[in-house]
Amino acid sequence: MRSPFAYRPRRGPLQDASPGAAVAYLGAIVVVAFLYLNPLVLLAAGAAATLAGLLAGARAAVRAALRMGLGLALLVAVVNALVTSRGETVVARLGHWPLLGRVDVTLEALVAGASYGLIAAATIIAFAVYSACVDPDRVLRALRPLAGRSALTATLVSRLVPVAAADAARLRDAAALRGPGAAAVGKAPLARRLLAGSLDRAVDIAATLELRGYSLDAPRARNRRSRSRHDRRFYAVAALVLVTAVAGKLLGADDFQAYPTVAVGFGPTTIAVAAVVTLSGLAPWRRRAGRRLVSADGTKAARYGGKSSRRRMKEGVARV
Amino acid sequence: MSELAIRRGVAPALAIEGLSYSYPRRPIQAEGGAAGRALSDVSLEVAPGEFVLLAGRSASGKSTLLKAACGLVPHFHGGEIEGEVRVAGIDALETGPGELAAAVGYLAQDPETQVVSTTVAAEIELPLEMRGDEPSARARAVEEVALALAIPHLLDRAVDTLSGGELQRVALAAALVTRPRLILLDEPTSQLDPVAGDELIWLLRRLNEEWGVAVLLAEHRLERCLAAADRVVAMEAAAVGFDGRPGDFLQWSRENDAALSTPAARLFSLADIAPLPVGVRDARQTLQRTGIAHPPQQASRRMRDPHPSAPVLDAKNLWVELGETEETRDVLRGIDLQVRPGERVALMGRNGAGKSTLLRTAAGLHEPVAGKLSVGSIALLTQNPSDYLVRERVGDELPGDEGMAALRVVGLEHAVDADPRDLSGGERQRLAITIALAGRVEGEQLPAVVALDEPTRGMDRARKEDLVALIGTLADSVAFMDKEATKATPGAAVVVATHDVEFASAFAERVILLGEGVVIADGPMEEILSGGWYFATEVARVLDLPGIVTPEQGAAVLKESLG
Repeated sequence: MRSPFAYRPRRGPLQDASPGAAVAYLGAIVVVAFLYLNPLVLLAAGAAATLAGLLAGARAAVRAALRMGLGLALLVAVVNALVTSRGETVVARLGHWPLLGRVDVTLEALVAGASYGLIAAATIIAFAVYSACVDPDRVLRALRPLAGRSALTATLVSRLVPVAAADAARLRDAAALRGPGAAAVGKAPLARRLLAGSLDRAVDIAATLELRGYSLDAPRARNRRSRSRHDRRFYAVAALVLVTAVAGKLLGADDFQAYPTVAVGFGPTTIAVAAVVTLSGLAPWRRRAGRRLVSADGTKAARYGGKSSRRRMKEGVARV
Repeated sequence: MSELAIRRGVAPALAIEGLSYSYPRRPIQAEGGAAGRALSDVSLEVAPGEFVLLAGRSASGKSTLLKAACGLVPHFHGGEIEGEVRVAGIDALETGPGELAAAVGYLAQDPETQVVSTTVAAEIELPLEMRGDEPSARARAVEEVALALAIPHLLDRAVDTLSGGELQRVALAAALVTRPRLILLDEPTSQLDPVAGDELIWLLRRLNEEWGVAVLLAEHRLERCLAAADRVVAMEAAAVGFDGRPGDFLQWSRENDAALSTPAARLFSLADIAPLPVGVRDARQTLQRTGIAHPPQQASRRMRDPHPSAPVLDAKNLWVELGETEETRDVLRGIDLQVRPGERVALMGRNGAGKSTLLRTAAGLHEPVAGKLSVGSIALLTQNPSDYLVRERVGDELPGDEGMAALRVVGLEHAVDADPRDLSGGERQRLAITIALAGRVEGEQLPAVVALDEPTRGMDRARKEDLVALIGTLADSVAFMDKEATKATPGAAVVVATHDVEFASAFAERVILLGEGVVIADGPMEEILSGGWYFATEVARVLDLPGIVTPEQGAAVLKESLG
């Protein structure tokens, strides 16, 4: 079964864009997530990545990433609440725990943990959209001038996620098939095994890439799809997001304090940054193309769109 | 050397002189080889247009030799190397694998690691693009190689939708698209069904004859390709043990390493008929000359009476659908099947016939969409035993005294502190089977069904014989995990999905043949494996007698015929 994160060829601005433009766009969203701690802006970054994925048709990848990202965010929030005793608003006293000592869960630690979790979640969603929408073949070719002597680097960048996703599915099956007398498969050993196995397989794929001549100093062949008309849009949105995020940061839009009491800023600059970041998720929106219409008698063909086409339909024009 | 000189084949396709090599960290030392060496003083020459078969047991150095011939050793893997390797006159120790790609193509055992692109056309085009060829030249080369390998219909497909056989052909096309003078193949048929395997060998022979491509093919299932080869090189303990004609190789293997012999050669050996045949046609001609072209027919052997106990696997009109919403397809289509305790069943059929899906459904990994399936407890070993090994110490996989006892039973007590990844392939498989069975082989917890999915991939004959013995132990089991047990327990039904007809003939008493998700034949092993062409053993193809599938059975008939 295909991994939800596997690339699927579809038509759409994000899929058609050159890898550089797509990486710049999704990378800008990730930069925002790492630049800010304000939950509103982080939610906006997550929403932008989600919106971008949905508009690009990567619903399965977004769903899987949301499950994974929000699960991780929850875990980070809980762990932070257990290990951090800072904060004034105690919501639960859990007594003495081995290693941790006295555990008081505070609202502030929960919020701070959730904030870090949101960073991870937004990054996971953006990465899932990248994995499902950006053609790894084009990434591989785009990387050649940068990593021509290292097929392994190129393989890791373009193939590690699909390889790891396929391996994870197999390992999950094998874990489910272990006898009850065998040692239970913990998450940590499984993750270690997954990483080691994926790296081993990535090395094998890198060997194949070497054999295909990836490290040759041959002149770059002309590619049929090197640039796209959508590139400019993604570069522009990426630049807008980055400029807004940096300017907002300088103007105090990242107004957030977890300790000793939670203080989340919802000032105009924060709201403006959050709005721009959220709206950036619309970049992969594809304008509905006008339908090709011919008259009922089949003699006239023209391209129409919007209301006029509906009017013409009423006037006896058939869609083909 | 100029491109023209390479094309005209003025130099040997491959010339190796005094080659010794050690990996930087050699996980499994070549059996009997010089300390830590994967290759030891190997000298070998392959002439342009020659078809050479590389034989040898597991870990004898075959794969390393192929990697040295394409430049991956030492350029990609590192390590210490001595000697000389020249490919079409190019020094492979000085030149990297990318530059060598114009002269040599390489196809590794696992096709999944042989593709780096998302679509078939992009995959085949990649080597030409890397060389800087123009789009028009690339398009023509892709079209031609696709036609030569009969895959033009696959060009627009995504590689992750291809079957193992299709993927293998695509990888071969990518290796051939630069029109190399030498093609190296490392067990290319190990994942293919008998039909696709035979097709691939004859395709190689055709490329060899029509394009003049020299072929160096490493294989364990020699009966598939010996007849197509001009010459055989046998590796033994990291060195060349034999280099000569196929007929002489069979004589050599008879005297030096019977595990490298073919079923037809064993048939003739047991019946004292000479010379040993390199293939089915050769065997038939020899029999004709000997005057036993039509050996007497024997009554077909029958499967032992059906086990009286209730079935442990019972499928009624079973339908299973796989794939995602827009790409779902019926993989199993109304299967009716019963397996009883102690039965040894080979599940056979072409790639994509539904063998793995049936086993995975029985193990609860897939849900049927229609029909009824009842299974007792089941232990399934999937295609890659390494997936079961997640700890860094063998002993941690099977903890406690019971774990230690289990390791003792499968002969792995010496490796209790080893990293599972450092075990040999056979040891990894034994450990994985033990993990799947752990805790299920006690009293009433004995698994009713033990299922193995393609367990012989990359195995030599000696290791397959060990597996046959293990299957026998499970099926006739008194107690697999506890040798001290005195209470007899019923044996498990052992169901093995396999493409290997010779292996099936060695362990199975019943063969179920699947085709396109339905059972197309189900009967005694001797009947099924002697009644066809592709799903038939080499002995069955030589003698064409109902019920005669193994060298021992065939030899008895021939001896009777010879008086």
